[in-house]
Amino acid sequence: MYGGGNTFEGVKTDSVAHEDQVKLGEFEGRIARGEKIEPSDWMPQLYRKQLIRMIEQHAHSEIIGALPEGTWITRAPGFKRKMALMAKVQDEVGHAQLLYSAAETLGKPREQMIDDLITGKSKYSNVFNYPTFTWGDCCFISWLVDAGAIVNQLANAKGSYGPYCRALERICAEESFHLKYGHHCVIYLATGSSIQREMFQDAINRWWPPMMHFFGPADMISTHTPVLMKWKVKMGTNDDMRNQFLDMYVPKIWELGFTLPDPNLAKNSHTGRWDYTEPDWEEFKRVINGDGPCNKERLEVRRIAEERGRWVRRALKSPQAAYVTPLA
Amino acid sequence: MDMNSLDPRVNRLPSITYPVPNEPTAPLDQFGTFEVFVQPKGDKAFQHEGIVHAPNLEMAYVLAKEAFTRRFVCVSLYVVDTANVAVSPITEGDVNIYQRIEDRSDQPGEKLSYEIYHLTRRGKQHVHAGTVLAVNAPDAMVKAKHQFNSGKGICSVWVIQTKNIRFTLPEEKDLWNTLPEKKFRDASAYKGGDKLSVFLQRKQKSSDHSGHSDNADQ
Repeated sequence: MYGGGNTFEGVKTDSVAHEDQVKLGEFEGRIARGEKIEPSDWMPQLYRKQLIRMIEQHAHSEIIGALPEGTWITRAPGFKRKMALMAKVQDEVGHAQLLYSAAETLGKPREQMIDDLITGKSKYSNVFNYPTFTWGDCCFISWLVDAGAIVNQLANAKGSYGPYCRALERICAEESFHLKYGHHCVIYLATGSSIQREMFQDAINRWWPPMMHFFGPADMISTHTPVLMKWKVKMGTNDDMRNQFLDMYVPKIWELGFTLPDPNLAKNSHTGRWDYTEPDWEEFKRVINGDGPCNKERLEVRRIAEERGRWVRRALKSPQAAYVTPLA
Repeated sequence: MDMNSLDPRVNRLPSITYPVPNEPTAPLDQFGTFEVFVQPKGDKAFQHEGIVHAPNLEMAYVLAKEAFTRRFVCVSLYVVDTANVAVSPITEGDVNIYQRIEDRSDQPGEKLSYEIYHLTRRGKQHVHAGTVLAVNAPDAMVKAKHQFNSGKGICSVWVIQTKNIRFTLPEEKDLWNTLPEKKFRDASAYKGGDKLSVFLQRKQKSSDHSGHSDNADQ
């Protein structure tokens, strides 16, 4: 789950001018031929930096994203749902491990990434700074937030960096269960009692704005990233990803008889794309910078877990002579 | 911090009273990495799957089992310390890596067993090619060149001394026996189609009766 809405740093026009132009040419040639870049290859500084940023944010989102769903394991309706949710949460944490490993091949140690998450230095997906009031909220995450993440992840799996692509292939394979499970939960609510339908409709109303934020700021206002597109770090614009998600899932939500809280949401028959009310990007910025309903709780829970586990890690540790960057 | 969570268990978490280190942890203050190889089926070769962080080889094995074989078909698994893997460069385009490895005369010394792994295409994973006897890792690459070079599409070679690998023991093979029982983790266990089509038919009927279309579809 969860990759999406990555925040990239602004790209300066001269940011590749200082690179070795011969090596840069070979690097770009390889990407243009559709070959993957492996950790031991030469790569521009900017490529390394933005990939670390992107993969790291994705990993943090998996870890933090497991929290709002994790609290619902004990309250999930029935034994089967509990087992499935437990398996899903375990998957998400496993995905974080795969992603940290992929980011680590670029030279940033995992420990430092974890520190940067806890101190608030690096970001994670904005959507998890919102609370899950009911089982309906939890089902919304399992079905639709995961669906949004899959749209991003399938695109990124075609990117240029070998270790990230390999991690995403494994992740996408497991996501198919999450998506089917989430849809199954929602079908049960949709075909259930009026109270159940109402509960899910309320969840939709709460989660729709964060869901629209999920894919990141509109292309009009987001950092332009043509060089990241050329290097296959970013595989589509934020608006493209949002549109693809709407195309796939809005009809499915309507099919179940639910409404979406945006009177302007409709497919434009001229452009073939979806029209919608522009999400509130000021709120997006405010929440991603720490002022959302759950930011403090999410980081605090993570920090307490880290601190409470410290003695276990210390006890297990064997003296390590030299740190070796992993291979692939 | 006073937490006002919707989850009472979160509110019950103890506040951390001892000083929390604010300094970033030094890079060496973490577990080392171990490379993980998985055999998906009995007739398939072992292939590299990724890494785990662990305090030692035995814990690496346990964590690798959780991280990489929790749900995919698997019959065997092994791990090795990253520092114990000798790697060749990765070649460009169609260049075979063995063209870059120069022959050299037999070196004196005790012959040890080494495992050889090939990468056949960028973006794929290193796959086990076979075992050679050699005095050291560079010598093992030369030996592999004569024994396993198919002449095409090998862009990188890894060499691991056999004794450094933590293999799955025969009595541990039952680790994966429970995999097929856990259907609740498979997409195939979640078929909502029947329930959905009954619902849609009912919805259709009620909108036919009321004589106008369901405006939720608009």
